[in-house]
Amino acid sequence: MRVPYSWLMEYLQADIGPAELARELTMGGLEVEEIQDWTSEDGKATDQVLVTSVTSNRGDLLSMVGVARHAAAVLGASWQMPQIDMGLLGEPVRGQTVAATEQVRIELANPSGCPRYCGLMMDGVQVADSPDWMAHRLDAAGMRPIANLVDCTNYVMLELGQPLHGFDYSLLQDGHIIVRSATDGEQILTLDQQWRTMTESDLLIADSAGPVAIAGVMGGADTEMSWRTTKILLESAHFDPTSIRKTRLRLGLASEASHRFERVVDPDGTLRALARVAGLLQETAGGSIIGPAADACVADVSPRTIVLRAEHCNRVLGTALSAAQMQQYLEALGFETQIEADGRLQVAVPTYRPDVEREIDLVEEVAIVHGYQKIPTTVPGRLIQSGRLTPAQKFERRARATLRAAGLNETISYSMVSQRDLDRMGYTADAPERDMLALANPGSDEQSHMRSRLLPSLLQAAEHNQHQRVESVRLYEIARVFMPVANDKLPCERLHAAGLMMGPYWSSSWNLPDESREPDFYTVKGTVEQLVGTLGVDDVSYRSSDHPTMHPGQCAEILLGDRSIGIIGKLSSTVQAEYDLDRPAYAFELDLDALIECAGLYSEYQRLPRFPAALRDLAVVVDDTTENTAEALQQTVEEAGGEYLAEVTVFDVYADAERLGEGMKSVALSLTFRRSEGTLTDEQVDQQVSAIVAHLEEKLGAQLRA
Amino acid sequence: MELTETIEQIQQEARAAVLGAADLGALEEVRVKYLGRNGTLRQQYKQLGTLAQEDRPLAGQALNKAISTLERLMEGRKSALAEQAEQQKLQAEALDVTLPGRVPAIGHQHPLLATMEEMIEIFLGLGFMVAEGPEVEDYHHSFEALNYPEYHPAMDEQDTFYVSDQVLLRSQTSTVQIRVMEQQEPPVRIIAPGRCYRRDTVDATHCHTFYQLEGLLVDKGITFADLKGTLEIFARQVFGDRCHVRFRPDFFPFTEPSAEIALSCTLCDGSGCRVCSGTGYLEVGGSGQVDPNVLAGVGYDTEKYTGYAFGVGIERFAMLRHGIDDIRLFYSGDMRFLEQF
Repeated sequence: MRVPYSWLMEYLQADIGPAELARELTMGGLEVEEIQDWTSEDGKATDQVLVTSVTSNRGDLLSMVGVARHAAAVLGASWQMPQIDMGLLGEPVRGQTVAATEQVRIELANPSGCPRYCGLMMDGVQVADSPDWMAHRLDAAGMRPIANLVDCTNYVMLELGQPLHGFDYSLLQDGHIIVRSATDGEQILTLDQQWRTMTESDLLIADSAGPVAIAGVMGGADTEMSWRTTKILLESAHFDPTSIRKTRLRLGLASEASHRFERVVDPDGTLRALARVAGLLQETAGGSIIGPAADACVADVSPRTIVLRAEHCNRVLGTALSAAQMQQYLEALGFETQIEADGRLQVAVPTYRPDVEREIDLVEEVAIVHGYQKIPTTVPGRLIQSGRLTPAQKFERRARATLRAAGLNETISYSMVSQRDLDRMGYTADAPERDMLALANPGSDEQSHMRSRLLPSLLQAAEHNQHQRVESVRLYEIARVFMPVANDKLPCERLHAAGLMMGPYWSSSWNLPDESREPDFYTVKGTVEQLVGTLGVDDVSYRSSDHPTMHPGQCAEILLGDRSIGIIGKLSSTVQAEYDLDRPAYAFELDLDALIECAGLYSEYQRLPRFPAALRDLAVVVDDTTENTAEALQQTVEEAGGEYLAEVTVFDVYADAERLGEGMKSVALSLTFRRSEGTLTDEQVDQQVSAIVAHLEEKLGAQLRA
Repeated sequence: MELTETIEQIQQEARAAVLGAADLGALEEVRVKYLGRNGTLRQQYKQLGTLAQEDRPLAGQALNKAISTLERLMEGRKSALAEQAEQQKLQAEALDVTLPGRVPAIGHQHPLLATMEEMIEIFLGLGFMVAEGPEVEDYHHSFEALNYPEYHPAMDEQDTFYVSDQVLLRSQTSTVQIRVMEQQEPPVRIIAPGRCYRRDTVDATHCHTFYQLEGLLVDKGITFADLKGTLEIFARQVFGDRCHVRFRPDFFPFTEPSAEIALSCTLCDGSGCRVCSGTGYLEVGGSGQVDPNVLAGVGYDTEKYTGYAFGVGIERFAMLRHGIDDIRLFYSGDMRFLEQF
């Protein structure tokens, strides 16, 4: 809210400039965001305006008087209400349905939605420009001055916080006002010339003919005050904040009035505001009051009494304040406080502070007036545990470190993607990955769903880097993905790890042959193997596979036991073209949670060998078929390896039609034999190798190369 | 000519040849020529027979001496030449040490996650455990359990992404407070770092995705003063001993009293600069004493236990630490950005 300094100081008795006042208010719970200079259009008047940001629990700070009252408490100063002649209202007539005069009758047909509605009629008013002093204050406070009638209602709203409304009495059917719920489909033309359709949960102000205003939100166009108006009915009411909020949200129609009603307007302030506006209207528009005022009221306007235990207050705050100090702070806020014999404080909370309902709310009030800065600074006394990460959290950190060690850069991307991203990746319309959680109110069409995979994001990043002409792209992301679960309102969230490599591995190196700089399928596979290894997971294998995003011949499924937990592959040329990537790119994605669930925190020590190993290299020629994989050869060797075969690795594979024959390939294997309790003789090893060769020949038709 | 003279002459000649040998190969040739089985010097033994009996010992001695002298000389020359050859080899291997090194291709840690990890370390040191909770949350844990009234203007500040009426993307890590307290009796001492979402328009300082770090301590006798002390330690650990925390009243439904957390700007020491918009302070989050309604909601005895909670945004810290001025860079995946940290 905009608070003109000179206007505020009319109610606040303190010797303080705007800058210091702003600082004190900010530290006292009313944030002043900035101080603006204001000059009137004619250049004659200037002021400084404190622009405040009011927290949503403090509707009482949405008026000049409210700010003055709070400032006085924080500053230890005094404040005063403007001079208001309550006598202008006559003897207000109170009841649920009141007929104050022949012309004004008010009925509360929905007393929970509107527990108080005060009305007053004036006749003979003359529309004119507002006096300069009023126009200037409204302008400085950010409300455009229009004419005296409406300006006076706005002025009182800003001054006292009570929104007011004025009807042109001659345009009403009669003065019989009913505050009632709308009927479904009922229509009203509002001040902004829009037809609004109402529902049963909306609250309407109606006369005998029909609705004349949407309660607390906006007046109707048909009964609006204009330059012809001479006879008016003034409304000063208290509405249920929830009802106002529902209507405002449903209609998308916010106003200065609804803003205040949603934050609770003092139910005890309606008549005061009515008297104030009547006085100002007489002063600026003449006319006479046709009293007495009608006060249709079922509201309880007595102060709420709350008990505050001084020791509890100190226990929450960590202070050592006396009950008397607390009493002083609360009374500064206008809360009448008595200290009982047992040391408890009986606190009467006025109706303008509906947010103060409980003992803990009083504790906060004490803390604010005392000043947060003056509360001591201590350290929680009892050390109850030492902080540490859980094994799963340690594994996640280890996974991140491993991927970095493998040369991948950590990235973070948005969790939101769209079905279009899956189109681009080559997924068919019925792919299971399409089952993504849709947002009801997405920020954009591109970010409409929660991702079920990380790779769409990494592909976008690759595309971005390609467009920036980045030569080498090496990225990983570890983040959650989201899969809808049938019969569960919340999705399944899994931590996934994904990586992408494109372009030279050594980006900044000289004198290295180009081919050794480029990644290939085995670079990315090696990265995954390293990840699996550092997590201490044994049961992982790889199987040739199909994936819509990947090259059909260079794609592997990652298996944990029998369960598929991810893929590795070279991007297909279609996907490559879709993302405008001009070099081969390789990627992987896996369910990291699945690995973490069976990861081992500590490796078990293996005794170092005391006897030397015997090494043998073996090159065999086999048919180059999909069955004769490196894995198949290794397994065959292991089957015939005997008890001393410790390790089998493939160290060379090549196909050469001229030397090996069409459709053949040569696979070179390195065998390590070791006996823990002695050295193996050449004969023992040779014998075993012969057995292995025989088994290879028998099972796979492999021929030993000379 | 006397044999001794011949020996003397050959010796002189050989001496000159040894000293003149330019490398080990040439020296070997010299050795073969003079000291080899058929070498000139060794051939002289055959001549001894032609001498008179009485002259033989003297000539023999002279020949032996000439051979051993030459051998010694050759030995010396050999090690000198070997040394020389080694020097030449080393010289040939000399590098231009000003050429750039071949840097191991190690990946970089994301500045946001690096900052988060550092913040986590500080709280681990203060005895906090790290808790986690779902990013897609239900209405109950997001609002009801955090004491948000159903129809309250405080809801406007959340600007939440919804999946349905009851399911949404968490707009703050405070939801994890509830998840933890539902599972555990006091004392509770946790932090919950993680990803949050708010329907913000993306620009240099706003993003719909952001990271927060939540803290919660519930035990007997936990005070607002303890909250101040804990965050004071945290601030000094992050920005150094000159940094202090400013607490001022604010409003959050789940804390009472509530406080905004601002750190004194260490760039200008509070005198006001561009980074702190001239205020001398940087707002980093919210905090307060856990509202009794929240504690009662998870079945805690509010007469027995009190607690504090706080939440800070991580982007702000990372931006200050590295001088980053555009929040969108964190989510760009741009290698040129990521490789700087």
